[in-house]
Amino acid sequence: MATLTIEREFEADPGTVFDYVSKTEHLLKWWGPEGMTVPEHQLDFARTGPWQSVMQGAEGQRYKVSGHVTHVDPPHSVGFTWAWHDENDVRGVESHVTIKLVPAKNGGTLFKLDHVDLPSDEVAANHEQGWTSSLRKLEKLANG
Amino acid sequence: MRELVTTFAALGDVTRFAIVERLLSRGALSAGELGDVADISAPAISRHLKVLREAGIIKQTVDRQRRIYSVAPAAVQAISHWTKSHEAFWNASLDRLDTALKNGD
Repeated sequence: MATLTIEREFEADPGTVFDYVSKTEHLLKWWGPEGMTVPEHQLDFARTGPWQSVMQGAEGQRYKVSGHVTHVDPPHSVGFTWAWHDENDVRGVESHVTIKLVPAKNGGTLFKLDHVDLPSDEVAANHEQGWTSSLRKLEKLANG
Repeated sequence: MRELVTTFAALGDVTRFAIVERLLSRGALSAGELGDVADISAPAISRHLKVLREAGIIKQTVDRQRRIYSVAPAAVQAISHWTKSHEAFWNASLDRLDTALKNGD
Protein backbone atom coordinates (compact mmCIF):
# COMPACT_ATOMS: atom_id res chain seq x y z
CA MET A 1 0.00 0.00 0.00
CA ALA A 2 2.10 2.83 1.28
CA THR A 3 5.82 3.17 0.71
CA LEU A 4 8.10 5.49 2.59
CA THR A 5 11.61 6.22 1.34
CA ILE A 6 14.11 8.27 3.29
CA GLU A 7 17.62 9.07 2.08
CA ARG A 8 20.43 10.56 4.12
CA GLU A 9 24.12 11.09 3.66
CA PHE A 10 26.56 10.44 6.48
CA GLU A 11 30.24 11.38 6.67
CA ALA A 12 31.13 8.08 8.34
CA ASP A 13 32.11 5.13 6.16
CA PRO A 14 29.63 2.28 5.47
CA GLY A 15 31.30 -0.08 7.95
CA THR A 16 30.85 2.40 10.80
CA VAL A 17 27.29 3.28 9.78
CA PHE A 18 26.45 -0.42 9.55
CA ASP A 19 27.64 -0.92 13.13
CA TYR A 20 25.39 1.93 14.25
CA VAL A 21 22.30 0.52 12.52
CA SER A 22 22.87 -3.11 13.54
CA LYS A 23 24.47 -3.37 16.99
CA THR A 24 22.45 -3.03 20.17
CA GLU A 25 24.84 -0.69 21.98
CA HIS A 26 24.75 1.77 19.05
CA LEU A 27 21.06 1.37 18.21
CA LEU A 28 20.13 2.44 21.73
CA LYS A 29 21.84 5.81 21.12
CA TRP A 30 19.39 6.85 18.42
CA TRP A 31 16.37 4.50 18.37
CA GLY A 32 13.20 6.56 18.66
CA PRO A 33 12.51 10.29 18.61
CA GLU A 34 14.34 12.63 21.01
CA GLY A 35 12.85 12.48 24.51
CA MET A 36 11.86 8.80 24.22
CA THR A 37 13.52 6.17 26.34
CA VAL A 38 13.72 2.47 25.46
CA PRO A 39 13.11 0.65 28.76
CA GLU A 40 12.64 -2.76 27.12
CA HIS A 41 14.34 -3.96 24.01
CA GLN A 42 15.75 -6.77 21.96
CA LEU A 43 17.42 -4.57 19.36
CA ASP A 44 19.92 -6.60 17.40
CA PHE A 45 19.97 -6.23 13.64
CA ALA A 46 23.37 -7.92 13.34
CA ARG A 47 21.70 -11.33 13.11
CA THR A 48 18.44 -12.74 11.78
CA GLY A 49 15.76 -13.50 14.33
CA PRO A 50 13.17 -11.70 16.45
CA TRP A 51 13.50 -8.10 17.62
CA GLN A 52 11.33 -5.77 19.65
CA SER A 53 11.44 -2.47 21.45
CA VAL A 54 9.24 -0.62 23.91
CA MET A 55 9.63 3.13 23.71
CA GLN A 56 8.44 5.37 26.48
CA GLY A 57 7.52 9.03 26.19
CA ALA A 58 8.02 11.76 28.78
CA GLU A 59 4.48 11.30 30.11
CA GLY A 60 4.89 7.55 30.49
CA GLN A 61 3.03 6.51 27.35
CA ARG A 62 4.49 3.28 25.93
CA TYR A 63 4.84 2.29 22.31
CA LYS A 64 5.81 -1.24 21.44
CA VAL A 65 7.00 -2.33 18.04
CA SER A 66 8.29 -5.76 17.08
CA GLY A 67 9.32 -7.88 14.14
CA HIS A 68 11.81 -10.30 12.70
CA VAL A 69 15.21 -9.53 11.20
CA THR A 70 14.98 -11.15 7.77
CA HIS A 71 18.40 -10.45 6.28
CA VAL A 72 21.77 -9.08 7.32
CA ASP A 73 24.43 -8.29 4.72
CA PRO A 74 27.22 -6.23 6.31
CA PRO A 75 28.08 -3.50 5.46
CA HIS A 76 25.47 -3.23 2.69
CA SER A 77 21.98 -3.87 3.96
CA VAL A 78 19.68 -5.10 6.67
CA GLY A 79 15.97 -5.95 6.47
CA PHE A 80 13.35 -6.51 9.13
CA THR A 81 9.60 -6.74 9.53
CA TRP A 82 7.81 -4.16 11.66
CA ALA A 83 4.46 -3.90 13.46
CA TRP A 84 3.18 -1.67 16.25
CA HIS A 85 1.36 -3.25 19.18
CA ASP A 86 -1.81 -1.68 20.51
CA GLU A 87 -2.56 -0.96 24.19
CA ASN A 88 -3.63 -4.61 24.66
CA ASP A 89 -0.35 -5.80 23.16
CA VAL A 90 -2.10 -7.01 19.99
CA ARG A 91 0.30 -6.83 17.09
CA GLY A 92 -1.02 -4.76 14.19
CA VAL A 93 -0.45 -4.71 10.45
CA GLU A 94 3.02 -5.83 9.45
CA SER A 95 5.31 -3.77 7.27
CA HIS A 96 8.88 -4.24 6.07
CA VAL A 97 11.93 -2.06 6.53
CA THR A 98 15.05 -2.26 4.38
CA ILE A 99 18.15 -0.19 5.08
CA LYS A 100 20.76 0.04 2.32
CA LEU A 101 24.20 1.58 2.62
CA VAL A 102 26.16 2.64 -0.44
CA PRO A 103 29.71 4.08 -0.36
CA ALA A 104 29.70 7.78 -1.27
CA LYS A 105 32.49 9.47 -3.27
CA ASN A 106 33.90 11.38 -0.29
CA GLY A 107 34.34 8.20 1.77
CA GLY A 108 30.99 8.73 3.42
CA THR A 109 27.80 6.71 3.17
CA LEU A 110 24.56 7.08 1.30
CA PHE A 111 21.86 5.75 3.59
CA LYS A 112 18.55 4.64 2.09
CA LEU A 113 15.62 3.40 4.12
CA ASP A 114 12.48 1.88 2.56
CA HIS A 115 9.50 1.22 4.77
CA VAL A 116 6.87 -0.69 2.82
CA ASP A 117 3.45 -1.61 4.08
CA LEU A 118 2.57 -5.30 3.89
CA PRO A 119 -1.08 -5.73 4.80
CA SER A 120 -1.93 -8.86 6.81
CA ASP A 121 -3.57 -11.77 4.98
CA GLU A 122 -6.90 -10.92 6.54
CA VAL A 123 -6.80 -7.37 5.30
CA ALA A 124 -5.33 -8.39 1.97
CA ALA A 125 -8.18 -10.85 1.40
CA ASN A 126 -10.62 -7.95 1.48
CA HIS A 127 -8.71 -6.06 -1.10
CA GLU A 128 -9.65 -5.99 -4.73
CA GLN A 129 -6.96 -6.05 -7.37
CA GLY A 130 -5.48 -2.66 -8.02
CA TRP A 131 -5.83 -1.70 -4.39
CA THR A 132 -2.42 -0.07 -4.25
CA SER A 133 -3.01 2.37 -7.06
CA SER A 134 -6.55 2.97 -5.81
CA LEU A 135 -5.33 3.89 -2.36
CA ARG A 136 -2.76 6.27 -3.78
CA LYS A 137 -5.53 7.93 -5.78
CA LEU A 138 -7.69 8.22 -2.69
CA GLU A 139 -4.83 9.60 -0.64
CA LYS A 140 -4.22 12.20 -3.31
CA LEU A 141 -7.87 13.23 -3.29
CA ALA A 142 -7.88 13.27 0.51
CA ASN A 143 -4.89 15.59 0.58
CA GLY A 144 -6.60 17.91 -1.88
CA MET B 1 -3.39 1.36 14.26
CA ARG B 2 -6.57 -0.60 14.96
CA GLU B 3 -8.73 2.13 13.38
CA LEU B 4 -6.46 2.19 10.39
CA VAL B 5 -7.03 -1.52 9.76
CA THR B 6 -10.81 -1.01 10.01
CA THR B 7 -10.58 1.87 7.56
CA PHE B 8 -8.61 -0.15 5.04
CA ALA B 9 -10.91 -3.17 5.40
CA ALA B 10 -14.01 -1.03 4.82
CA LEU B 11 -12.44 0.57 1.77
CA GLY B 12 -11.39 -2.78 0.33
CA ASP B 13 -14.62 -3.12 -1.61
CA VAL B 14 -14.98 -1.58 -5.08
CA THR B 15 -18.43 -0.11 -4.45
CA ARG B 16 -17.53 1.42 -1.10
CA PHE B 17 -14.29 2.69 -2.54
CA ALA B 18 -16.23 4.32 -5.41
CA ILE B 19 -18.59 5.96 -2.91
CA VAL B 20 -15.72 7.45 -0.91
CA GLU B 21 -13.94 8.53 -4.06
CA ARG B 22 -17.03 10.38 -5.26
CA LEU B 23 -17.64 12.00 -1.88
CA LEU B 24 -14.03 13.18 -1.78
CA SER B 25 -14.21 14.69 -5.24
CA ARG B 26 -17.74 16.12 -5.10
CA GLY B 27 -18.31 16.85 -1.40
CA ALA B 28 -21.54 16.02 0.47
CA LEU B 29 -24.12 14.01 -1.48
CA SER B 30 -27.44 12.29 -0.83
CA ALA B 31 -27.91 8.53 -1.17
CA GLY B 32 -29.82 9.20 -4.39
CA GLU B 33 -26.89 11.08 -5.85
CA LEU B 34 -24.65 8.12 -5.02
CA GLY B 35 -27.00 5.59 -6.61
CA ASP B 36 -25.14 5.38 -9.91
CA VAL B 37 -21.64 4.62 -8.53
CA ALA B 38 -22.36 0.93 -9.11
CA ASP B 39 -24.98 -1.12 -10.89
CA ILE B 40 -26.68 -2.23 -7.69
CA SER B 41 -29.99 -1.61 -5.92
CA ALA B 42 -30.74 1.29 -3.57
CA PRO B 43 -30.89 -1.04 -0.52
CA ALA B 44 -27.47 -2.40 -1.48
CA ILE B 45 -26.08 1.15 -1.62
CA SER B 46 -27.63 1.77 1.81
CA ARG B 47 -25.84 -1.27 3.22
CA HIS B 48 -22.52 -0.05 1.90
CA LEU B 49 -23.17 3.40 3.35
CA LYS B 50 -23.88 1.76 6.70
CA VAL B 51 -20.55 -0.15 6.65
CA LEU B 52 -18.68 3.05 5.81
CA ARG B 53 -20.52 4.95 8.55
CA GLU B 54 -19.78 2.28 11.15
CA ALA B 55 -16.11 2.30 10.18
CA GLY B 56 -16.13 6.06 10.78
CA ILE B 57 -15.16 6.84 7.20
CA ILE B 58 -18.27 8.82 6.30
CA LYS B 59 -20.73 10.83 8.34
CA GLN B 60 -24.42 11.35 7.81
CA THR B 61 -26.42 14.52 8.32
CA VAL B 62 -30.13 15.07 7.67
CA ASP B 63 -31.34 17.94 5.51
CA ARG B 64 -35.18 17.98 5.72
CA GLN B 65 -36.12 14.50 4.48
CA ARG B 66 -32.80 13.75 2.85
CA ARG B 67 -29.80 12.00 4.33
CA ILE B 68 -26.59 13.66 3.24
CA TYR B 69 -23.25 11.85 3.32
CA SER B 70 -19.73 13.23 3.44
CA VAL B 71 -16.26 11.89 4.26
CA ALA B 72 -15.25 12.22 7.92
CA PRO B 73 -12.12 14.38 8.34
CA ALA B 74 -10.61 11.86 10.79
CA ALA B 75 -10.80 9.11 8.17
CA VAL B 76 -9.04 11.28 5.64
CA GLN B 77 -6.26 11.79 8.16
CA ALA B 78 -6.11 8.07 8.91
CA ILE B 79 -5.56 7.28 5.24
CA SER B 80 -2.37 9.31 5.15
CA HIS B 81 -1.50 8.57 8.77
CA TRP B 82 0.54 5.46 8.08
CA THR B 83 3.11 7.19 5.92
CA LYS B 84 3.27 10.34 8.02
CA SER B 85 3.71 8.65 11.40
CA HIS B 86 6.53 6.44 10.15
CA GLU B 87 8.19 9.30 8.35
CA ALA B 88 8.20 11.28 11.61
CA PHE B 89 9.58 8.29 13.55
CA TRP B 90 12.43 7.65 11.16
CA ASN B 91 13.40 11.26 10.57
CA ALA B 92 13.53 11.98 14.30
CA SER B 93 15.58 8.83 14.92
CA LEU B 94 17.95 9.43 12.00
CA ASP B 95 18.67 12.96 13.26
CA ARG B 96 19.92 11.31 16.42
CA LEU B 97 21.88 8.72 14.43
CA ASP B 98 23.58 11.57 12.57
CA THR B 99 24.52 13.21 15.88
CA ALA B 100 25.77 9.94 17.37
CA LEU B 101 27.94 9.26 14.29
CA LYS B 102 29.42 12.78 14.40
CA ASN B 103 30.20 12.48 18.09
CA GLY B 104 31.66 9.05 17.46
CA ASP B 105 30.40 7.89 20.81
